[in-house]
Amino acid sequence: MHDKTRRLPGEAAFSLALLVLSLWLTTIAFGISGFEALSAPGTFPLAVTAVMVITSGLIFWRTARLPAASHIRDWREILPLRVVGMALMIGLYAVALQPLGFLPTSFVFLTISIWLLGRTSPLYALGISVLSVAGIYIVFRLIFTVLMPEGVVPEREIIAWVQNLFSGSPK
Amino acid sequence: MKTKLLGAVTALLMAAAPAMAEYPEKAIQGIIQWGAGGSTDVVMRSITPHAEKILGGSVVMQNMTGGVGAIALKYVGAQAADGYTLLMGAENPQLYKVMGLGDSDYADFTPINLIARGVPLLVARPDAPYNTFAELVAYIAAHPNEVKFGSTGPGGLPSVITAMLSSEVALPVIAVPYDGDGPALTALQGGAIDVMPAVLGAAIEGIRAGRMKPLVLIDTTANPALPDVAPITEAYPAYAKYLPWGPFFGIFVKNGTPDAVVDKLQAAFGEATHNPEFVALIEGRGFSMLNLAGEDARSFLTNWQKTTAWLVFDAGAAKFSPADFGIARP
Amino acid sequence: MMDSLHYFLISWFDLQLLGLIALGTFAGIYVGAIPGLSVTMAVSILISFTFTWDIYPALSLMVGIYMGGVYGGSRTAILLNIPGAPSAIATALDGYPLAQKGEAGEAIGISTVMSFVGGAIGIAVLAIAAPAVSEFALRFQPRDYMLLAILGILLVGSLSGESLMKGVFAGALGLLIGAVGLDPLTAQERFTFGIIDLWGGISFIAVMIGLFGISEALMQLHHIDKLAIKQAISRIIPSWGAVRKYLPLSLQTSAIGVFIGALPGTGGDIAALLAYDHAKRVTKNPEVPFGQGAREGLVAPESANNAAVGGAFIPMITLGIPGDAVTAIIIGAMFIHGLNPGPMLMIDRPEMFWFIVGALVLANFFMLLFGLTGIRLFVKIVELPRPVLIPLILLLSIVGAYAVTNSLMDVYWALGFGVFGYFLKLYGYQVGPVILGVILSRLIDENWRRAIISDREDLGRLLWGTLSSPLSAVLLASVILIFVSQTPVWGMAGRGWRRLWGRK
Repeated sequence: MHDKTRRLPGEAAFSLALLVLSLWLTTIAFGISGFEALSAPGTFPLAVTAVMVITSGLIFWRTARLPAASHIRDWREILPLRVVGMALMIGLYAVALQPLGFLPTSFVFLTISIWLLGRTSPLYALGISVLSVAGIYIVFRLIFTVLMPEGVVPEREIIAWVQNLFSGSPK
Repeated sequence: MKTKLLGAVTALLMAAAPAMAEYPEKAIQGIIQWGAGGSTDVVMRSITPHAEKILGGSVVMQNMTGGVGAIALKYVGAQAADGYTLLMGAENPQLYKVMGLGDSDYADFTPINLIARGVPLLVARPDAPYNTFAELVAYIAAHPNEVKFGSTGPGGLPSVITAMLSSEVALPVIAVPYDGDGPALTALQGGAIDVMPAVLGAAIEGIRAGRMKPLVLIDTTANPALPDVAPITEAYPAYAKYLPWGPFFGIFVKNGTPDAVVDKLQAAFGEATHNPEFVALIEGRGFSMLNLAGEDARSFLTNWQKTTAWLVFDAGAAKFSPADFGIARP
Repeated sequence: MMDSLHYFLISWFDLQLLGLIALGTFAGIYVGAIPGLSVTMAVSILISFTFTWDIYPALSLMVGIYMGGVYGGSRTAILLNIPGAPSAIATALDGYPLAQKGEAGEAIGISTVMSFVGGAIGIAVLAIAAPAVSEFALRFQPRDYMLLAILGILLVGSLSGESLMKGVFAGALGLLIGAVGLDPLTAQERFTFGIIDLWGGISFIAVMIGLFGISEALMQLHHIDKLAIKQAISRIIPSWGAVRKYLPLSLQTSAIGVFIGALPGTGGDIAALLAYDHAKRVTKNPEVPFGQGAREGLVAPESANNAAVGGAFIPMITLGIPGDAVTAIIIGAMFIHGLNPGPMLMIDRPEMFWFIVGALVLANFFMLLFGLTGIRLFVKIVELPRPVLIPLILLLSIVGAYAVTNSLMDVYWALGFGVFGYFLKLYGYQVGPVILGVILSRLIDENWRRAIISDREDLGRLLWGTLSSPLSAVLLASVILIFVSQTPVWGMAGRGWRRLWGRK
């Protein structure tokens, strides 16, 4: 979908940002051990960042001289509201994961995003979310014993309680 | 459904009043400081099922690697001191302070059990022109900066052993770093390095097959697994002051964990170390069983730290002086 | 000989072992398909789980999971452009375009059959030539590993898409990402800014999930209203003609796979990428261009990564040296079960070798069976409406990133790289070279340093050492040859520059 003979909105800024990033990383790479020795821990990072500076510089120079893409006028065509919204949603999800715990966060995240993206009935979104979260929980937590953040739900107590229920022996 | 809901509510109430219930009332998390398949991992995964039976609870083990083990230490240090998070680690944290890898070590943790200790030794390529430590020293003196020693970075076992050996004899060698003793021993068999300070357990199979030859045991007594190899103190009694020394494996909880919980864990893991299958595994891999808890474990840890931190510092491999952290010279 | 055959067939006539291998292979396919669940993880959980079992049933389950898991990674790579495992990265390059054309069923079919071929070659080499191969693999010196990794990084040329310059930048960025963390050789901090969580480096799986899973899902939001692509699932099992056509390529790339798998320190991920590059070089006129759904681009990595399974067992069984992360854990499991993996294992317990070979053969057959039968259900996943599918991919990506090391840090990385990857893709950069760089970073860095330290910081000595060893000289020659064939360094400066900028 990218046309290399035309410059998209934001493309020049992006390539400039990459150049600045490369320059900054080079100064950090230099700070690791300088030009101390061929085997120093900083030698490889320096070589790599040098390549990044050269290539990103050339890319920026080249991009800046491209004619702007005339058929795309609107930012929204390359960065639709949906993309920004979803990126924010997953950002929020990551922030809430630790304090609230895996189960409630995932459930809310799925329900809201399916509901908004699909413009479907909330009930449909709710149903799909319950099924999916349950599925993921069973595979990751119960079978593969990945301890997801528990947050407000005392999962380990509940699991121990259910196990006791099945083993039939009161503690 | 109704009973399950009821159960959830009860569980909530139980969580609110932890003192009421008997430990362990939920799964215990065991954080293994090193990667899957390594010595620490193997030892922990084989002792824990025995301890689980005695405890009457389950321990869910996870490998949390990175930062020479510092990430696992930091993680366990950040959890509640309730005995539900165990640190299953090796000796490395005792050197973090002098190596500049953080300001925490095992002083912030209560030892549940120091399980076993590795016996270090020097191994060489089978076609190397020396068969004993004395011959190696002579060869190095005649060919300075030619013999390639494997290493695992500053603070790793090879660096400590090299520092210890250098304290009595001159060892001008090239130290080639690897990310662990496994890859370094592989390189030894391929001829990329000449000598490797390793633990007996990692080298024993290669020695049995004649793919590497033992030069000397860095210990005060001969080992039943390799009865023909002399301990270093036979020819060089000066090393006795550092020995016995070796990397160790231990299980820890954060300081401040209730005594009742610590006692229960210590009893369970202490009993598990006597399991015949586990004993066979430890001995088969050439480790020496320690089974230390309480004050014995504390003093072992302190002594280990004193000896090692100063050795590493005197060899110039440490970032900070042990004196900065109140670690007395032994 | 009769003894060997007897040991080989132990698992074939024992219903319990047979069942466990089948179960393991089946579970492995799903473990492999879900990003974040890895074979390494599954096998290390199995260690505690099978603790009280005998060694045969425990090994049966592990071997099955391993075989199935390496293959399973291709499923999500083809269907969703999210490689379920690192060894399936190359599979996504041509597999996903096929799914977008509605040919996912056929793509899965051909990759299943070729995985089987690769698996069989790997096992055959293991059974016939294990001691010889492992002796040869041991001879690789640090400089040889470095040259091999440089050979790998030259693949950037094949993965760059529209502009080689952008590909080189992306590759260098990947190498840098791989260098973050405490330097494994000196414990010096690199790009960590004093943050302890960065000491362990940036998890490579988190980068992969971000660049492939999350950024792809964000990209898909552009077309949220489009109907899901209907997948033709009538032609799943490839025709005999197709198999015969791709067989030579499959055999060549299987050979690459076995050998890279047998080298300690390199595994299926590097094997698959090198195989993809090989396919691109030897296929003169593909029916469909590479990157747009070339069958050759599926055949090569899928043959190679399953061949690497047999390869990884070679140094493990003959010398007790792990060929990759999974075999390292299996070695641990063998210790726990009272065996002593090492050079003596073949002599002390010859039955273990033939038992593993027999179990691998069975797992390979089960993989073919389950691979060709469960496709319909899998393909249904891509036919889910996008408003449901995209949030699910995002959720699974986050959970997967978390599961790798149980840390939120990896989740943040995956998110960061997801958004970054969105812009990279938008502006015509490829994400493949970034991943390639991350995979190869440590291999290049560490072995370069080992090599130069061994030669006392003397470049002249290193060069002389390289030229005087036949193995290193051949590797160096291949590096130079491929470099020259891909980049315009000699003469034709003008034409070269145009090619450099405007590759198509």
